[in-house]
This record gives sequence, C-alpha cells and structure tokens, in this order.
Amino acid sequence: MNDTFLEKGVSKKHNQYSEIFITAILIILALVVILPLLLPWCFVFKTQLEFAYYPWSWPKEFKWSNFLFAWEAVRIGEGLLNTLWVCIGAILCTVPTSAMAGYIFARYRSKFTEIVFYAILAGYFVPVQMVLIPLYQLCNNLNLTNSLPGLFLPMTAFGIPFWTMIYRSFFRSLPNELAEAAWIDGAGHPGIFFRVMLPLAKPATILAVLLVFIGSWSDYLLSLIMLNDQKLFTMQLRIAQFMQSTGTHNMPRYGAAAIIAAAPTIMLYLIFQRWIIKGTLAGALKG
Amino acid sequence: MKSNANVSIFTSGVKYQLKRDWNLIIFKSIFLLPALAFLVIFMYYPIEETFRLSMMRATGLGDTVFIGFDNYLRLFKNDEFIAGFINVFAWSFWSVIIQIPLAFFIAFSLSVYKNKITSPLRAVYYLANILPSAITAMLGRFIFAPRYGVIATISEKFNWTWLGKIDFLGDTNIVFWSIFTVATWAYTGFGIIYLMANIEQIPMELREAAELDGANKWQYARFIVLPMIAYPIRILAIISTIGSLKLFDLPWMLTGGGPGYSTSTLVIALYKQGFVNWQYGRGSAIGVIIFLLALIFAVTQFSLQGKEGSVK
Repeated sequence: MNDTFLEKGVSKKHNQYSEIFITAILIILALVVILPLLLPWCFVFKTQLEFAYYPWSWPKEFKWSNFLFAWEAVRIGEGLLNTLWVCIGAILCTVPTSAMAGYIFARYRSKFTEIVFYAILAGYFVPVQMVLIPLYQLCNNLNLTNSLPGLFLPMTAFGIPFWTMIYRSFFRSLPNELAEAAWIDGAGHPGIFFRVMLPLAKPATILAVLLVFIGSWSDYLLSLIMLNDQKLFTMQLRIAQFMQSTGTHNMPRYGAAAIIAAAPTIMLYLIFQRWIIKGTLAGALKG
Repeated sequence: MKSNANVSIFTSGVKYQLKRDWNLIIFKSIFLLPALAFLVIFMYYPIEETFRLSMMRATGLGDTVFIGFDNYLRLFKNDEFIAGFINVFAWSFWSVIIQIPLAFFIAFSLSVYKNKITSPLRAVYYLANILPSAITAMLGRFIFAPRYGVIATISEKFNWTWLGKIDFLGDTNIVFWSIFTVATWAYTGFGIIYLMANIEQIPMELREAAELDGANKWQYARFIVLPMIAYPIRILAIISTIGSLKLFDLPWMLTGGGPGYSTSTLVIALYKQGFVNWQYGRGSAIGVIIFLLALIFAVTQFSLQGKEGSVK
C-alpha cells in the first residue's frame, strides 16, 4: 500500500509492473473492440463447404467470389448514392439554418430572441422516436414518404436545436471588435454575418458538417418507416435487408457483406477520427 | 440606413435603439424563420398530433373517435408494451452498472498510464461507437449466429458442446444479454472519451499532491478523480438512460423484439402498434409515454447542470 509513484527505488519498479499489467489489459480490451471487424477475414476467402469443415484454417486459395456475391446482393453502390444524397440534403438544410439562428441568438439578444431560443432548445430533448406516427402521416400528406427529402427534412428539424446551441455559444465567444470595424466600414447586418462572422465560425461549421453527415449516414429508423421503394433504400436499410433475407447460412458470404458494409464508415473514421472525437466531445461537454 | 449611427450594434453593449429599426427586424426575422419553420412543421406539429392521437381511437381504417385515456389503459394490459417497459429499465440499469464503471476504468487507465502503446488506443475504443447500428447488428449476428457464428464455430473446434448448445439469439433467458453485450461493445467508447476528457481537466497539482502524500494510483482514482468527476458520471448515466428509452435499432435488427416479447422495447412496441397493426392511437400513446419519461430525465440533467454549473 505504500508504493508511491515517486521516482525512486522499489516502488518505481513496482509501478512499472503495474503499468505493464494495465497496458496489457487495455490492449486486450482494444482487441475485443476490433476483433469483430477482423474475424470476417478468416472466413471470406473460403467456399461454404471449406468453411463448414475448416472454419479457422488458412484458406486453400484466395477467392474473391464471396465479395462479388455480397456486393451484388447488398447492392451497396446504389445504397451509398442514396445515403450520400440524404447526407448532403441534411447538411445543406441543417448547417446554414442553425448558423443563422445561432448568430441571432448570440449577437442580437433581446427578450424576444431569448424566448425563441428556449423554444428551439426545448426541441433538443424531444426524441424523434416519440413522433414517428404523426411524422409519417405528415410526410404522407406532403408527398414526402418514399422520397429522400422525407428523410432529411425531419432529420434537419431534429438536428437544428443542437447545432443552434453550438453556433450560439461559438458566436458568443467571438470578439466584438471585428464586427464593429466592419460596421464602421459600412457593412450591413447581413454583410457582417456573411463576410466577417461566418468565416470566423469555420471550426463550428466543420464540426457541424461532419457530425450531421455521420448522423444521417447512420440513420436506420427513419429510413425504415419512410421508404418502400427498393431503389431508394439507403445503405443501412440494404444491410439490414441482406441480414434478414440472406441470413447466416452462408457465413463466408455474410462475412464478405459485413466487410463491405463496414468499410465506408471505417475509412471515414480513419480520415476524420480527430475531428469526430473532438466534435462529439464539444457537443457532450456543452450539452 | 444606419441613420441612428451608433458604433455598438449589439444589444449587449450600450442602449442605442431610439427608433424602431425595420431593417434590423427584417434581418432578424429572415435569419430566424428557416429554423423556426423546420421545427414547427416537423417537430412541434407532430408532437401536438402525438398527444391528440393518443386520446383517439385511430386506425388505418374508419373515423377517429375521441376515447380519452382508453389507449393508455389498454397499454398497461398489453404484454408487448409491458415487456418493452421492463426491458428498457433493465437495460438502462445494467448500462449504468456495467458500462459506466468499465468506461471509467479504461478512461482512467488511459489518462494515468500514458505511453506510446496506450495513447492511440482511445481512437480504437471509439471506433465501434460510430459504426451505424445496422453494421453493429450485422457484426453481432456474425458472432452470435447459431451453427456458423464465431462462437459456434469456436466451440465446435474445441468440442465445447455446452457452449455450442447455447442459442444466443433464440433463448429467451439469454437473448437480452446477447444484445446487451453487442451494445456494450458498441457504445462504451463514448463513455470512455467523455470521461477521459473530464479526467484530463483535473489539475496536475492535485495529482502531484496525492503523489507526495503517498497515495497510489488506485487511491488517487478513488479519493480524488471519482469525486471530481461525479458530475460527468451522473450526466453519463442520464444520457444512457435516455438512450435506453430510444432503444430500437439493435434489438429490432437482431431479434425483431423476440423471441416472444423477450427483447421488446418501448420504441419496438410503438413501431409495431403504428406500422404493423395500424393502431395509430395506441402507438401515439406509447410516444407520449416515451416523451414524458425522456422529459423527466432531461429536466434532471438540466437541474443538475444548473446546480453545479457547467464543468467546462
């Protein structure tokens, strides 16, 4: 009990052991996280027959036919395109509206804007799941079901409260002097926003674009209720459909589909990892 | 247009507005309208409709009739709803009991034992968190599938018949835990990075003082770190409770809420009432219940924040 983490003698050695021990545990836990993503590679190069007899052995030869089958069964290319449309739509609707509203709430505060702000903020606590039925009926009346806007318009509404809040606190943290200088130079209210403040809010905008993208990229529930037409199915719907229809009877094919399905997200994560973590934390620490 | 020339254009500064500045009012309205329009159309109106429909007998066919609280009363005799209700609370209870301590252990270890090996691990732990639920479900089934799943093939290789016999997604006693394991795999990452960010805000002097007093790392964790991050831990508990209320994707894709109602959740019950049985009224009543529960937890979170001030 007396070991300290001061740099001396026995206790230092003891400390080293505990560091090695904890590091080992951390590595094992990290392996647990990535193993489900690596294990499919053991199966995917085998035929179903080879898999049934020797699931864990080295594959006899590297066959890519399972990937071809999975690619065609999931038709992930088409799904990817639909998903991208939804993401772009959600970004284009969410980010400018939130930036504008957040700007007013931050820089033109009055009793009235504060009331409106709290009305919008309240939306942050409303789970989209509770309104599924009326939302579906509304979209049906507006002819939005079975269309991609039917996905990203509701997503936008449920994303605006959070991003308005983020933009508001960001704009409040910016110094006044630049805006005042622009005002003296004769810029109007919109001019100050578009030419001075919005460029300054670039970090917030990057976060918003990235996280709105990921949010709409991952959506499953809204696509499930809104879309009927196979052609419009988003990536996640197609993956779920593959799971239900093809199932796990042919594990090599299933594994290949899992790899194909996970690949785009993992590539995104590898590229933007720093920003994604930073953005999530910014949201969590403020919200 | 800037006749009432005043340098400070922001109300936070000096009082400047003598005349009503129509330009400013129009500007404000144009900037606020899009956001408000989105919320009114796609959020406030559906919320109002949820409350209204929950008092109606509304099905795909026939007229909607006002029936008061009948939908709610029927729900409490509905096995699927009751099962969903119990599962959601069991889920949030176990998330708090299992996932948060696990997240704390990893977050603390990562921030105290910083070396070349552990630093990049944070990103690895968070990886599963951003996978879309469809992929998480797919990988979950890849592990738990009967006969050909990873666990089944391993138990076959080593002749562990006891393990091979377990039907992870079909046995009503086990299926909850299978899905919970998948969710723990997927979602603990958020708790890790959240707690880590909070632990790293604890000033170094405190740690040095603890070292000088002869505390070891686990004493440091127990008596200094834990009390300092008690508030973020509570927030995390509320976040995962609200998350449990919204639980749908994983159980729906892995088991469809079955076998029986053993993995039903509130949202699965709502989805089935609304989109399978066409019972709009009863489905909306579940929506109202989800809303009220979420509201209670959100208010708790907010009042906690108000009391302690924002940590950052």
